[in-house]
Amino acid sequence: MAIAEEPGPAAATVAAKPVKRGRSFAPRYPAWLTLPSLLYYAIFFLGPMAILAVFSVSIQSGFGSVTYTFDTGQFAQVNDSLYITVFERTLLMAAMGSLLTIAVGYPLAYWMARYLTTYKMLALLLIIVPFWTSFLIRTYALKIILDPHGYLAKDFGINILYTKYAVGVGLVYNYLPLFILPVFASLERMDWTLIEAATDLGARPFTAFKDITLRLTLPGVVTGGLLVFIPMCGEYIIPDILGGGKYEFVGNIIGDTFGSAQNWPFGSALAIALMGALSVFVVIYIMFATREEQFGA
Amino acid sequence: MTDEPRDHLNLLAPRSMRPKFDYLHREVEDLAGTRMSRRAALGLGGLALLAAACGGSTNAGGGGNNGAASQPADALKGKPLEDQLVIYNWSQYDDPSTYKKFEQLPDEAKAGLKIHETYYSSNDELLAKLHAGGTGYDIVVPSQNAVGELIEEGGLMKLDFNLIPNIKNVDPKFLKASYDQTGEYHVIKDFGITMFFWQNTVVKPSTEPKTMKDFYDLLNANVSKGRTNVLDGAEEVVPLASMALGFSANTEDQGELDETKKFLLSIRKGVTTISSFGYINDASAGKIILSQGWNGDVRRILKARQKQGDITAVIPTEKSEVWADNWCVPATAPHPVAAHAWINWLLEPTTAVTEMNYHNYPIPIPAALDQMPASFKNDPMFNVPASYTDNYEYILNPNPQLVNARTKIYQEFKAA
Repeated sequence: MAIAEEPGPAAATVAAKPVKRGRSFAPRYPAWLTLPSLLYYAIFFLGPMAILAVFSVSIQSGFGSVTYTFDTGQFAQVNDSLYITVFERTLLMAAMGSLLTIAVGYPLAYWMARYLTTYKMLALLLIIVPFWTSFLIRTYALKIILDPHGYLAKDFGINILYTKYAVGVGLVYNYLPLFILPVFASLERMDWTLIEAATDLGARPFTAFKDITLRLTLPGVVTGGLLVFIPMCGEYIIPDILGGGKYEFVGNIIGDTFGSAQNWPFGSALAIALMGALSVFVVIYIMFATREEQFGA
Repeated sequence: MTDEPRDHLNLLAPRSMRPKFDYLHREVEDLAGTRMSRRAALGLGGLALLAAACGGSTNAGGGGNNGAASQPADALKGKPLEDQLVIYNWSQYDDPSTYKKFEQLPDEAKAGLKIHETYYSSNDELLAKLHAGGTGYDIVVPSQNAVGELIEEGGLMKLDFNLIPNIKNVDPKFLKASYDQTGEYHVIKDFGITMFFWQNTVVKPSTEPKTMKDFYDLLNANVSKGRTNVLDGAEEVVPLASMALGFSANTEDQGELDETKKFLLSIRKGVTTISSFGYINDASAGKIILSQGWNGDVRRILKARQKQGDITAVIPTEKSEVWADNWCVPATAPHPVAAHAWINWLLEPTTAVTEMNYHNYPIPIPAALDQMPASFKNDPMFNVPASYTDNYEYILNPNPQLVNARTKIYQEFKAA
């Protein structure tokens, strides 16, 4: 909050600079310098989206070919018990996965931010290093740990490979760093003297945590939660490898529709339906993201 | 810090780079013919570089030659051999010496022919590339269902068999196929079948399983003992089940498709994994107790488990799948004469022997099969007897409607 009231140091120095060529304000970059970035964004992000939208209202005229028209029939096909089931399953699994990620990640981030001093950076590095390894290799590595002939299954009786529980473990493991980083950042900026003050004034530790720490870091938690929830919804590889190819997410259905069925219009309609379902959560994200700025956390 | 001139370069670049940036600045100013700030100049320079990069890649991409789409069968008569051959193939599917020796053949060496090869990992990938307008390939290697699709779309060139005299070496039964009934568009590369196997220390069937239906019937009773597996893909799961029920692999009859779906859902709880990828490794490590597999793969698994001797493999009687990969020339091929020369070279019996030793799948060239070692020649899993394959069918993609219906059944099977 304090930061928001005073102008940033950069802005201050810039304003104080002597001005050349008779301009009376701080450096103004020509707007067209953003052109390369804008072009990149337009060609490689908006372009494919537009193609997807056009395909979704076209009709299939052959293998991997479409007739361009305006036909919403593809979306009517999405409304089928099979796809509804898979949508529900995907959203539910992603929600459970996100909650589990929060349950595992928050205490870890809290411990790192509050109690580690010398080894804080090392701990952070240990969280990030596995992220440098290929996603695919990490998922295959999990297969070894969960193997029915492995220690986990033989000695602890946890034999879950090729079930939805294995998919859940894979989701949490692969996305944990994405959650820990923003939460760690907001915990780092916590003013711990507030907790001291609260305890001095008679608050029990849990009350102090609930009313101060949790409230101040909630935007970070929500950001982190959505940061993992959204890619989890689009997950494709984890269900395929750890679920044994028989635990379908929407991503797998879309893949099959584009790949083996070569039905681009229907695949596009499924993809857009998924985006529609996710947009609800993005709206929540934006709401919390703007609140985060107010808190300055 | 605050006293530095505003126009100073604040780049994350070493100080020694400064003269180079100044030089770029001057160059851009010269070109523009007017003074401009350093930032603007560098920005413009960056744009120019970007434009140059885009321009360069456009040229490279547009280099393909849009050859005539449909030519008469002898259009290549008397044309000279080109100095290039562009192959789009599955990876590690041909012996490296096959390429080297081809380039050293007298005519090819005289023409200075060089082979360029790129790879794909599925028929879907190949079709997507060709559908998206991919040109510039002289040779592609589609499986039977993709050949049918490509012929229908006019994507393949009619082969000129005057340029492929070695076609006489091929077993006449393999010259025409259900996916290319006139045999004008393809030359078979190799073929295989789908069979099944189990771990005989774990799975103990009461009667000897013989047919693909027997395989499916073992699933539910044995799934609690370990990992069971079926090969994945809509074009595999659905037609294989249809055939097990005695229907045609490519049935479009709604009643038969419904029955196939009902059957698949009834065995669904007996299936641990649906996968065609990595089952060789897992089965070789003893992690799969019951599974379908392609014959070349099952041979490798048997070899890997030779010491334990715990795998029993069965080539199904009655119906199962036979598949074939094929040499084809796209209609847009820029070097068609070289493509024909390549196919002719692959039909040379000595080449075929080298190839079979490399990829372990049979090439229907009797003169070559005779030269194979006994361990290949006498192994029914390599040299599959016609008494089996006579009952087998090619799985095809006759039309998008059937493929969509198969995909839906497959998705319901997986999601159940």
